[in-house]
Amino acid sequence: MKSIRVALAGNPNVGKTSILNHLAGTSLKVGNWPGVTVEKREGKVNFWDYEINLVDLPGIYTLEPISDDEWVAYNYLRNEKPDLILNIIETPNMERDLLLTVELLEQELPMVLVLNMSDEAQKLGIDVKDKWLSEILGVRVLRTNGRTGEGVKALLPNIVEVFNLKEKPKPLKYSKELEDFLEKVRERENETKAELIRKLLDDERFKEYRENIRKIFGKDVHEVIKDERYAMAHGLYKEVVHRKLFTSRDITDSIDKVLLHPFLGVPLFLFIMFLVFKISFDFSSPFMDWIEGFINGFIAPFAAEVLTYLGAGELMKRVVSEALIGGVGFVLTFVPLIAVIYFMLSLLEFSGYLPRIAFLMDRFMHRLGLHGKSLVPLLLGFGCNVPAIVATRTLETKRDKLLVIAMIPFMSCPARLVVFSFFAVLFFKNPAIIIFSLYLLGILVALITALFLRKTAFKGGLYHFVMELPPYRLPTLRLLFRVVWVYVKDFLYRAGTLIFAASVVIWLLLNLPPGVKNPSESIAGYIGRTISPIFAPLGLDDWRMSTSLIPAFLAREIVLSSMATIYTAEASQETKEDFELLKALKEQVYALGNAFKEAFLNVFKPVPTAFEVKEEDSQSLRSIVAKSLSPASALAFMVFLLLYTSCLGTVATMWREVGKGFALLFFAYSLLIGWFLGFLAYRLGSLLWST
Amino acid sequence: MKLEEVKPGQEVMILSFSGKEDILEKIQAMGLRKGRRVALLQKLGRNLLLKVDNSRIVISKELAKNIEVQ
Repeated sequence: MKSIRVALAGNPNVGKTSILNHLAGTSLKVGNWPGVTVEKREGKVNFWDYEINLVDLPGIYTLEPISDDEWVAYNYLRNEKPDLILNIIETPNMERDLLLTVELLEQELPMVLVLNMSDEAQKLGIDVKDKWLSEILGVRVLRTNGRTGEGVKALLPNIVEVFNLKEKPKPLKYSKELEDFLEKVRERENETKAELIRKLLDDERFKEYRENIRKIFGKDVHEVIKDERYAMAHGLYKEVVHRKLFTSRDITDSIDKVLLHPFLGVPLFLFIMFLVFKISFDFSSPFMDWIEGFINGFIAPFAAEVLTYLGAGELMKRVVSEALIGGVGFVLTFVPLIAVIYFMLSLLEFSGYLPRIAFLMDRFMHRLGLHGKSLVPLLLGFGCNVPAIVATRTLETKRDKLLVIAMIPFMSCPARLVVFSFFAVLFFKNPAIIIFSLYLLGILVALITALFLRKTAFKGGLYHFVMELPPYRLPTLRLLFRVVWVYVKDFLYRAGTLIFAASVVIWLLLNLPPGVKNPSESIAGYIGRTISPIFAPLGLDDWRMSTSLIPAFLAREIVLSSMATIYTAEASQETKEDFELLKALKEQVYALGNAFKEAFLNVFKPVPTAFEVKEEDSQSLRSIVAKSLSPASALAFMVFLLLYTSCLGTVATMWREVGKGFALLFFAYSLLIGWFLGFLAYRLGSLLWST
Repeated sequence: MKLEEVKPGQEVMILSFSGKEDILEKIQAMGLRKGRRVALLQKLGRNLLLKVDNSRIVISKELAKNIEVQ
């Protein structure tokens, strides 16, 4: 099977990601470009006898790079030389997009031109003569609708044919004067126009030509080349586009009148964010309950039956029930929450509202010394800190980037919420208020951190605000589900590997040396007791609490599963029930139906229902924890876990993004501030609830 | 006049750019070019929301001081 390397190139917001999604389907992978934290998306399609490898280049306006993502695209085209460029154009903005097309044609690589969103263009009265465009450039021109996926599949046979026939675009012809100079710097037959231009612009040997150009054209060589490219793009546009003269009322303008209203905009933004988080939690909670019930009420007894039937030993049974089902099963209950949060965030992003938040909130953000664009990564931080740190690539200056990265880990993510809701429901009458205060505390610490950094390390001023607001578009459910699946897959993978490994390790620590009866005699108990004096001022002198913090560094949600392992290993006397496979299965299906009903009903309730207090049976982890902690120390525990960067993923991403020094320094800082504020919380709590 | 002085709802034509910053190259590639017509949709905080052709571009007032329009 032959492989074809295809690079997707185009301006930002032209729908490249959607087209890649439609082409690559479930093979889509999200990763990073080496050396920079610019997100790299790749996919693979098998078509005819070919393996087509697709790489999504970062969205760029021009091949004259300034920011990291622009450098990535530029270097890839220059050094990796893909077999084919898939140039995607947003047809309604064709004149602007053609500048990049002209620059891509200078690379003299095989190319297929995609007129995306041509349906929108038609509504705006823009008519493209695609056959004529194809004729002029010597490039195949195809139409697609990235939103619905219409026309996308037709790209594949064309990619293969262009590759097989080695079809190259016709050479670009700039003005005769410029072409003469370009020929003068040619040293080899096969040099591309891009290479010739680069030499004419930078090469020391051709200084004289640059001076001649200045004399002939009356302007700098950079200006000359820029103007020629613009003229070429403009000329192409005039040649192939026919604009009907009618003014259609643009739906985006009408929506912006409301959503970007000087007074209404901000309350609407707050309302939308409230809805996003309410739906995320309320819709997912019945499913989370169902998964928990399914694991404890079906999987666990079923696995026990099967193991007994197979004649497995007591040790094997314990590993499965305590490490596998107890550890991984517990974490799996968060899949619905993560899926719904990513669904809502992707909806905001693909609908075009996310960049508008930056524009809307810049007037407040810039008073805090932050760029409006920083709000988007910060908001993403409430979803998950790792992609949020990656998203700082949209910030132009290193100063903005570092400031925001130092704030993101204090944005409380769902992994923390899971821990908070467990403790808050258990210890406090108004869990919602406690959880809300913790979120606020995180934001406050982030602001203080930013203020501190601005007064010391990053004294520079604010950078200019430049961004494009894409038109509003309703993304298809299929596209959203695919994006959500990419992230859920990643989470499941982590649950299956990292978290399972952590569960096994802690289980081993708890059960070694061999023959321990009581976990307090085990290695884990020893480590926990050794570090517990450090946490004593926070009211956390229970070795089981400090022990569960050790594996929690992998990811915060593990704190609960490791607590479950430690506490249930202590109280391992469980009531045995009779297990009937068919009856149990029926019950589970019935419960799932109920979960769906409840999830949809929850969404329409005006008040968030996610934090309602639920009565649990006395055998559960909840009651054991409730007996062994005071409310004040529970609060201290939550504050500590909120602030300290207890997440391997976040620290690793930070490390990769800004370097070892910054990551480790920040980690130490977060430990200190977490401990200190946890200590304050414990003192305050002890005063309040001392009676 | 400067683009910064334009009032919301007005449409103007770009005459020239001054200043040497890299970011000025980028906004030209984004479609704010000499000879193009731009409509100012909204002023908000330190920024302007412009419409060029069918795209909406936000630039700061500070940058708009570098753009001469008519």
